[in-house]
Amino acid sequence: MTKLTPVLSAHWDEADSFTIGAYKRHGGYGAVVKALEMEPDAVIQLVKDSGLRGRGGAGFPTGMKWGFIPQGDNKDHYLVVNADESEPGTCKDMPLLMANPHVLIEGIIIASYAIRAGYAFIYIRGEVTHVVRRLQAAIAEAYAAGHLGKNIQGKGYDLELVLHVGAGAYICGEETALLDSLEGFRGQPRLRPPFPAIAGLYAKPTVVNNVESISSVPSIINNGAEWFSAMGTEKSKGYTLYSLSGHVANPGQFEAPLGITLRELLELAGGIRPGHQLKFWTPGGSSTPIFTAEHLDVALDYEGVSAAGSMLGTKALQVFDETTCIVRAVLRWTEFYKHESCGKCTPCREGTWWLVQILRDLEAGIGTAADLDKLLDVVDNIMGRSFCALADGAASPIISSLKYFREEYMQHLTTGGCPFDPVASTVFATAGSR
Amino acid sequence: MAENPLVPTSGEFGLEKAAAESAMIPNEPPASFAKQLQGFWVTLRAMFKKPNTVQYPEVKAPTEARFHGRHQLNRHEDGLEKCIGCELCAWACPADAILVEGANNTEGAQFSPGERYGAVYQINYLRCIFCGLCIEACPTRALTMTNEYELADNDRGKLIFEKEDLLAPLRQGMLMPPHPMYPGSDDGSYYRGEVTGSHPSQEPTHHA
Amino acid sequence: MTPEALTEVEMITVVIDGFEVTVPKGTLIIRAAEKLGIQIPRFCDHPLLAPAGACRQCLVDVEINGRAFPKPQASCTIPVENNMIVKTQLTSPVAEKAQKGIMEFLLINHPLDCPVCDKGGECPLQNQAMSTGRGESRYEGVKRTFEKPVAISTQVLLDRERCVLCARCTRFSDQIAGDPFITLNERGALQQVGIYEKDPFESYYSGNTVQICPVGALTGASYRFRSRPFDLVSTPSACEHCASGCAIRTDVRRGKTLRRLAGEDASVNEEWNCDKGRWAFKYLSSKERIATPLLRGADGELHEASWPEALAAAATALKGKRVGVLVGGRATVEDAYAYSKFARVTLGTNDIDFRARSHSDEEASFLATAALNAKTTYFDIDKADKVVLLGFEPEDESPIVFLRIFKQVKKRALSVVTVAAFASRGSQKLKATLIPVVAGNEAAAISALEGLTEKSVVLVGERLNESAGALSAVVELLAKSNAKLGWIPRRSGERGALQSGAIANLLPGGRPVSDPAARVDVAAAWGVESLPTTAGKSTAEILAAASAKELDAVVVAGVDPLDISAEALTQLLNTYVLSFEIAHSAVTAIADVVLPVAAITEKSGSFLDWEGRPRAFTKAIEESLTRSDLRILSMLAYEMGTPINLPSVAATAREIAALGNWDGAKASFTPAKSNKSLKLAAGEAVLSSWRLLLDLGTLQAGEPNLAGTARPATANISQSRADSLGVAEGEAITVSTARGSITLPAHITAMADGSVWLARNSDGSQTIATLGIVGGEVVSVVKA
Repeated sequence: MTKLTPVLSAHWDEADSFTIGAYKRHGGYGAVVKALEMEPDAVIQLVKDSGLRGRGGAGFPTGMKWGFIPQGDNKDHYLVVNADESEPGTCKDMPLLMANPHVLIEGIIIASYAIRAGYAFIYIRGEVTHVVRRLQAAIAEAYAAGHLGKNIQGKGYDLELVLHVGAGAYICGEETALLDSLEGFRGQPRLRPPFPAIAGLYAKPTVVNNVESISSVPSIINNGAEWFSAMGTEKSKGYTLYSLSGHVANPGQFEAPLGITLRELLELAGGIRPGHQLKFWTPGGSSTPIFTAEHLDVALDYEGVSAAGSMLGTKALQVFDETTCIVRAVLRWTEFYKHESCGKCTPCREGTWWLVQILRDLEAGIGTAADLDKLLDVVDNIMGRSFCALADGAASPIISSLKYFREEYMQHLTTGGCPFDPVASTVFATAGSR
Repeated sequence: MAENPLVPTSGEFGLEKAAAESAMIPNEPPASFAKQLQGFWVTLRAMFKKPNTVQYPEVKAPTEARFHGRHQLNRHEDGLEKCIGCELCAWACPADAILVEGANNTEGAQFSPGERYGAVYQINYLRCIFCGLCIEACPTRALTMTNEYELADNDRGKLIFEKEDLLAPLRQGMLMPPHPMYPGSDDGSYYRGEVTGSHPSQEPTHHA
Repeated sequence: MTPEALTEVEMITVVIDGFEVTVPKGTLIIRAAEKLGIQIPRFCDHPLLAPAGACRQCLVDVEINGRAFPKPQASCTIPVENNMIVKTQLTSPVAEKAQKGIMEFLLINHPLDCPVCDKGGECPLQNQAMSTGRGESRYEGVKRTFEKPVAISTQVLLDRERCVLCARCTRFSDQIAGDPFITLNERGALQQVGIYEKDPFESYYSGNTVQICPVGALTGASYRFRSRPFDLVSTPSACEHCASGCAIRTDVRRGKTLRRLAGEDASVNEEWNCDKGRWAFKYLSSKERIATPLLRGADGELHEASWPEALAAAATALKGKRVGVLVGGRATVEDAYAYSKFARVTLGTNDIDFRARSHSDEEASFLATAALNAKTTYFDIDKADKVVLLGFEPEDESPIVFLRIFKQVKKRALSVVTVAAFASRGSQKLKATLIPVVAGNEAAAISALEGLTEKSVVLVGERLNESAGALSAVVELLAKSNAKLGWIPRRSGERGALQSGAIANLLPGGRPVSDPAARVDVAAAWGVESLPTTAGKSTAEILAAASAKELDAVVVAGVDPLDISAEALTQLLNTYVLSFEIAHSAVTAIADVVLPVAAITEKSGSFLDWEGRPRAFTKAIEESLTRSDLRILSMLAYEMGTPINLPSVAATAREIAALGNWDGAKASFTPAKSNKSLKLAAGEAVLSSWRLLLDLGTLQAGEPNLAGTARPATANISQSRADSLGVAEGEAITVSTARGSITLPAHITAMADGSVWLARNSDGSQTIATLGIVGGEVVSVVKA
């Protein structure tokens, strides 16, 4: 029996799944009706009861976040949906928005109603023009159908939804940087406190949620908190999207209850590409410490991954087989972090810049074992020293790769270059080569 | 006695102690006539040795190679001054003998590579103690010391040497600043030793 | 901080490195540590800027209620809490390593510029690299380079290679000055400070960014490569440029002022000053300075003379004659006192006036009553519920007052109302409500002001006297609302001169000349029989009398006649002129005797700022041989046989203190009526004007870098006038009187249709010299 629990992805196979018609055919916008008949606080309580935790990486309980918004303060409240999905490996929100944008819109209406927001914003990364267009069309459809705007579905609740297209900066996925960017400033993280729940967008109480978190809300309203919390593990409830990419036979989105293992997911995905073995993988995108084959049976929920020394993150499982050079992979990630560092704080700005230089030398076989220690020391000076978590993300793959593959780094230094054939790791390499 | 004679233990200070120590120095006549003859012999022998006297100023004995003499402000190979007017020499000087004022190199008047040059440079040889701390402080090796030791005059004012008194003469291939930097170079090129002479285009153009 | 503020605040006790310290709630850890003498290294932290937490240099270990933060925290962003235990680099190896790591990061891309960098020797990065850095670099790559230096204005140079991106400069410009002309651009390792391509960093306060830059990334063009800190002799001083009263620091090398920095005074200028105060000091070492007395010979030319010669000549010319005294607005308290005493005792006259500018009898009465008794301070602005600006442009005329108001506008949206010709850039930054007036109609606008309480602050500029009846309306408004009054003259010496009695209707200490008891008081202190009782003349009356030969001589001290009127200089031609000056001027050119006096850096003394707060300063240049005015006046009075016995500044200050303030009956204000509105024909308007901060002022001479950031002069008109003239923004219009005309680009702004505004003394816009007026009179306005 399959371990999959398709909820968000249930109808992705239908050709018109992204239209309002298809969405309604499967009961879409039913949850809004139900929610608008409830008291906002009851909606928050329901989401709290469901145990839904943020799907953007940190896993903060969504209902609790909503509950932080001060009520009766005579201030505007805002809901901001973080669709700035840009971490290497992370690829769940864009497919979701391509295939089923209306589930997000419905979730937004419910969430905005719960936190008494009159305005909601979707901040989407700028590079995904196709998704932007599809989402724009979906919003227009929702307005036309009376789900957005004044007096939604005759329930007396008004909500305006604005789609904001970012200019392409990884840092804008950090919620306070996202708010700055949304306000028209350069995206750089803000000093906290005040937290967004007190002074967020335009210094008003603001909830910032991930696309998948908000998209999960309609199903909770429809089916109840118990239905949702029946799935998953003790502290990590519900279903979620696992994104398998890399050297797997059949990569893609796998919607399953939290707590599934990579071994099980690999079975569903047809295993590692033929003729190869798993070498290492990331549990939640490039900023989470890597795992190896010994972690195949780690339960992929917040606690399980954390206990094994990494983070569930965005459940972006990037799988690498034995043809991949760890130094090369880590260098590419580090180059990404260097490029995406916002520049605000010293360790991230200067540290990632330096790390790239060290790793380039190491990949080229220049250096000694002492340089590995220097690398670790530099990483130690970055880790936990920066303004936001971006630099920690840059440090994670280096620390974990040195933990599991120090020998391979040394091999570069003893052979004076990379012992791997970069072509062998590509998708177009012949099966079993090298 | 303490093990380290520079670190006396307690009770070894004071006049009393000093008096006691000097009292211990033996002050006795020579032991015998033979010993006295020995002393005369030393004198007699010296009378027949070649004298060591130098007929200065007619004859000038060369100094040791590292003798601390008059300072010199060096030039880069194309003639630009090495001094950047940073005043580190003045800062290092324990005798307060050096005065430097920096100024801005401009496009029309480039004296040294980079942004800054020493516009005023004076060393007061009435104060200088030739300790060499200044040349140690110099970050561009602009300031070095020559072996020249004839630094006496009958006018105090003349012993304050100005920049033009201290600047090294132009050698073959050097041009008198101000003139532009070597084409295609930056100040880094000079410090890496990439400029090995002047280029015709550095010749100052005269519109007179 | 006032005692009142202290009692309001809850106190928190925190343990830092094992030592307890008790600080007010809200104090940041880094500041609490300072109290214990524990210096945590920092770059982005600045006590007057909002925390940024950007440089991460100040990381420390923090524990609250027994729970330790998992990673070191930036001590510049976290306020202390009860039960907090902080371990700095002194006790926590983690904090120590974190700080060393950050320092290493900052240095990997920092150029080895120290020998050529102006900051070298006083550089927080140098110092903290010594305390917190490694001996040798582990970095083997190539450093990041940028083009350098880039002039982001004529007075500030930017070197991006040296920048540690602490954002102090950008935060200052945004949060303190309200001029966000510099920002951080780009991202990651390429992040850099920058300006908009065509928008240079022309803020009146840009010099502060140079001062607070913790590295040599921002340097001043005028101080470039001029000296090292160990060459400089620093003297705490007071700024002579305006009545804001800034504490400054004067740095002198070999007898020459090379640099001035903002001093620290929490109750006045905090840690800031304006660019004029910082960079306008070249006049002190100008070639025009006068070193010896000058005597006009039989040939009609000035010749150098000895002091005895010059004093004898002057004494002969003044003794027993009818003499008026023009003190100027830049005298120190002590000098103004000496002029006051000299006029009353030696010359036996009340013909003395410090107002070298437009003035009126209404103003003299206002000064002797309301202004003299005003006790309003900067702290009242901090607490005000509303600030009203009358005839006063704080950014141009008292820049630190502007900063203080702006701070409250930024912090708590303080409401500001301005009665002015148009909303200047300063008013716009203050989000001030503009009550547009045609010059001359201020009184009506002031009478119509409402909603003022005893917490409101009414700031009156000296210009308000130019509108008849306006000061009377202010007095009425204050009586009605109990609001606080601040009289803010443009010049640093005016409040002190008022207090010293350098005006016809007052004796020192605010004693009314008309009050016999006051006269007896002063006469007794001065040891003279009696003081003159005849009502004295004002500046204009002195000049008119001189011209009409009703005065035999005029003593002119530091006055530019063009500040008074276009005719002032000609009026002096008919009389004997004794000039006290620091440099050659229009007055010395016609003077019969010129006595050189000490400039600000060459003497000690004090000013009273607009609050009445003493701003004492000492001699910055010890080697100077010049003498202050009071010393020369004392010699002259002795020579004339009626000594005033003021041998030194200290002695004068003691005499002033001993005399004290008047505690007898206060003078009462004599109101004046406002003029009738002027009738305007087509193509006519009423002129308004004020001086911009940076203009052709005498004390700004010789500093082209500063002048380069002066705001260009425009002729401001309303939209409907622009339409009727058929001119668009930036097109030239001509403003003229019978005397002359000024042609400038038009700037269209919200203002009364009957109004046209010009800068009073800017390049291409000198209203007194060219038009013969400052405002309130009809001019013709046509398309050029």
